[in-house]
Parts: sequence; C-alpha cells; structure tokens
Amino acid sequence: MAFPLPRGITPPEISFLAEMEMVTILPRQRLEGLELLGGPVEPLLPPRRASLPLWLALLLKRQRRANILPPPWLHPESLSLILDIETQHHEYEHTFSPPPPLPGQPSIRDHGQRPVAVPRYTPDGGRYYPAPPFLPQNVAQDHIPAGEPPSLPFHWLEVGTMLLDAASDDLVDPDQTRRLLKELREVRTAKIRSGVDVLDTASTGGGGVALTGVGAMEVGEGRGFIAGVIDGLRKIGASKEQARREQMAEDMANGGYGATQDDDDDMEF
Amino acid sequence: MSYYDIDSILTDAQKLPCTFELEVPGLGILEGNPGDNIKAGTRIDLPLWLGEMLSIGARLGTSRLVTLDIPSALSERVMNALKADPRTVDLRALAPHFYSLSERVLELFEEEEMVDVLINTFKKRASEIADHAHNPMGALGDGVEFLRGLDETERQLFRVAHDSAKETRIWAGEAKKR
Repeated sequence: MAFPLPRGITPPEISFLAEMEMVTILPRQRLEGLELLGGPVEPLLPPRRASLPLWLALLLKRQRRANILPPPWLHPESLSLILDIETQHHEYEHTFSPPPPLPGQPSIRDHGQRPVAVPRYTPDGGRYYPAPPFLPQNVAQDHIPAGEPPSLPFHWLEVGTMLLDAASDDLVDPDQTRRLLKELREVRTAKIRSGVDVLDTASTGGGGVALTGVGAMEVGEGRGFIAGVIDGLRKIGASKEQARREQMAEDMANGGYGATQDDDDDMEF
Repeated sequence: MSYYDIDSILTDAQKLPCTFELEVPGLGILEGNPGDNIKAGTRIDLPLWLGEMLSIGARLGTSRLVTLDIPSALSERVMNALKADPRTVDLRALAPHFYSLSERVLELFEEEEMVDVLINTFKKRASEIADHAHNPMGALGDGVEFLRGLDETERQLFRVAHDSAKETRIWAGEAKKR
C-alpha cells in the first residue's frame, strides 16, 4: 500500500518545528554554556534572563531548574485585544489579524512609508535578512513599543498550547489565557472554512488567495482540504481555462500591440 | 491522472449515450443480440473510453461512426437542480464519479455554462463538507443524507478534512488516540 501518512506534515511534526522558537527563561541554577548542533546556548547565571530554544526551556522547566517568561502576546490582555481585532473590526471580518511585522517593515500605523529591509551580518561578515522562524517573536519584552498592537506569531497555537501544558504556573491567569486561545482558534477556524468561497480565484491562472497571518498549525490542518478543493476546481475549470488561453494566444497572434490593430481587423469584416 | 488510478479507470467505464451514424456489421453484441448488425441511427450507451474513440477515431474523408450525447447525469434537468440548490442533489445516485465524468465530458463538449454551474456546485458543497468533517460527530450527525450523496472526489475531500481535523484534536489533547 501507499505511504500511510497523509500528504503534508502532521500536527506533532509542526509542534516539533515550533520547538525551535526562542523563548526567555529565568534560570534558577547555573549552567555552563552548551555547544548544540542548532548553535551555542549562552551560560545560565541565575538572576540573569536568557534566551533558549523552546524545547530546552521546557526541559529545564520540567526539571524545575528554570521559569519561563511568557511572550508578550500570550497575555490575557493582548489575546483579548487580538480577539477584538478578529471579531469586531470591519476590516478583518474575513481576514486574519495581521502577523507581527518583519524587521524593516512599516507597522500598520504608519501608512505609506517605504519599507526598508535592514540587513544583519553573520559572524563571518555575510549579509542576511532575518525571516520568521529565526525572528525572536516569542521572547519576553520589557517595554512594548508604543502604538504597536499585539499580534500572533506564526507558531502561536503550538507555543501557546505547549506553554499552557508545561508552564501554566508561569503564565498570567492561565485559565483565562486558555479560554481566549480556544476562542481565537474557533474564530479563525470559522474564517478558514468560510474562505472556501474565494478558492476558485486560486484555481484559475494567475490567481491567488492571501493567507497572511495564518498560523503554522492552521496551515497544516487546512492543507489537505484546501489543496483538494483547489485541485477539484482546477480540473472542472480546465476546459474553460484552455479556451481562455487559446483566446489569449489568438489575441497575441493578431495584434497584441494595442487598439490600432484591432481597428484594422474590424475594417475587414 | 495516472495509469493505475482506480478512479480514472472507473470513470472511463461510465456510460455515455451514443448514436451510430453508420451500419456496422456484426457489432450487434453491444445491443444485446450477438451476430446481428447495428443499424444506423441506433442509440446505445457505450462506456466513455469506447465512445470517445469511436467518435473521434474516424479516418479523414469518412463520416463519423458515432455521435456523442451528454450523459443523463449532466442533463439540463440536473443542471437546473444544481443551480437551484447544490446541496440537496444526490450526486452519487447520478454518477459515482460525477466530477471526473463531467471533467471528461467537458473536454468533449464546449459548455461554458455547465462549467460555471459545476464550479459553483463544487464550492458550495465543499464548504458543507468542511462543516461536516470538522464536526466531532463525523458522519453520524444530521448530515447523513447529504454525506451519502457525495461523489468519489467529494468523499476523498471529506476524508482528508476529517482526518486532519482529528489529528489536530489528538495533538491538542482534546480527543483520544484511536
């Protein structure tokens, strides 16, 4: 028989990837710096905060060697703000709340500003532009920049669920947080479901559907169904698409330079 | 569509009404009386693969052997029903591989309007399928009637959506494994 697992990646795999996210911890014990395959881990000195990958932070938390500082968005206040954006705002009635801005990307506040990507440099001097999996979206922040609305990072559902599981005593009001996360998830699932109506734009040539702000787990969950619907629509519309292409090729063949030649064609009839 | 795709083989076996344009000696077996000739103008339901070959396989200069007709599953009556309400039509009763069949038929006929009706139908039914698939009751709820009327393509969609929703629930600890 065929490979037993479905196409795409399974939820446990997605949450495994989410464990790469950096989080802030408050160590209770000293620990020498570790040289791991994923990069060096800074030495832990008890009163000082440190950024660790989520998997290591969870391990230390389970051994009661550290406390995890929750990321700023995993706070009842931020979550209810995001929930408000998702449900109340007219602008986001059918779309998802905006993801955290990339470095150099103008935030929603200042419209019309030209985005300027700020390059960073590796120790060897190579230039690179940081992108989501390697952006510190889940580390605790002391001061939140004014006017910056809270936003859900790519791995919000996985990080949120894992922190609620393992470190609920470190969170502010875990019950409220859990309830808000569940509500957010329901609202966004409903949006994905209602989005089926616009999928036919993705099945025709040159079309597309924006998935801005959709989280990793949501993409993983919807992958099979959404891809299936688009494929089905593409197959049904294949003959129409064929006709459209032929029409386009015909247009290109006779003329293609604009209206003047069309006028010439009309004269012949 | 691959060579060993069971669904495409089964689609090929679905019947298409054909009218013979010429008299064919010895082909009466298709009509059910072996040894006889098939007369010109006879209407017989032939499998898609045979009808397609006979209708386009004629040599240049000769008239076509058969003319094809649109199968009853895609008739005007069905299209009107789909236009009125896509959700209440039992596609499975019309043809088990309804969408694959219509795909093939649309390759043979130019039917702009049918494409639009079918795309709309597929979309409407897909969102309904998603609703049922995300329902933890699965196929036991109120939608039994609707789910029984899904064609093969839609069944696969339902299975995919249901499985991924279930996997996610298992990961989140809301459902038991197996």
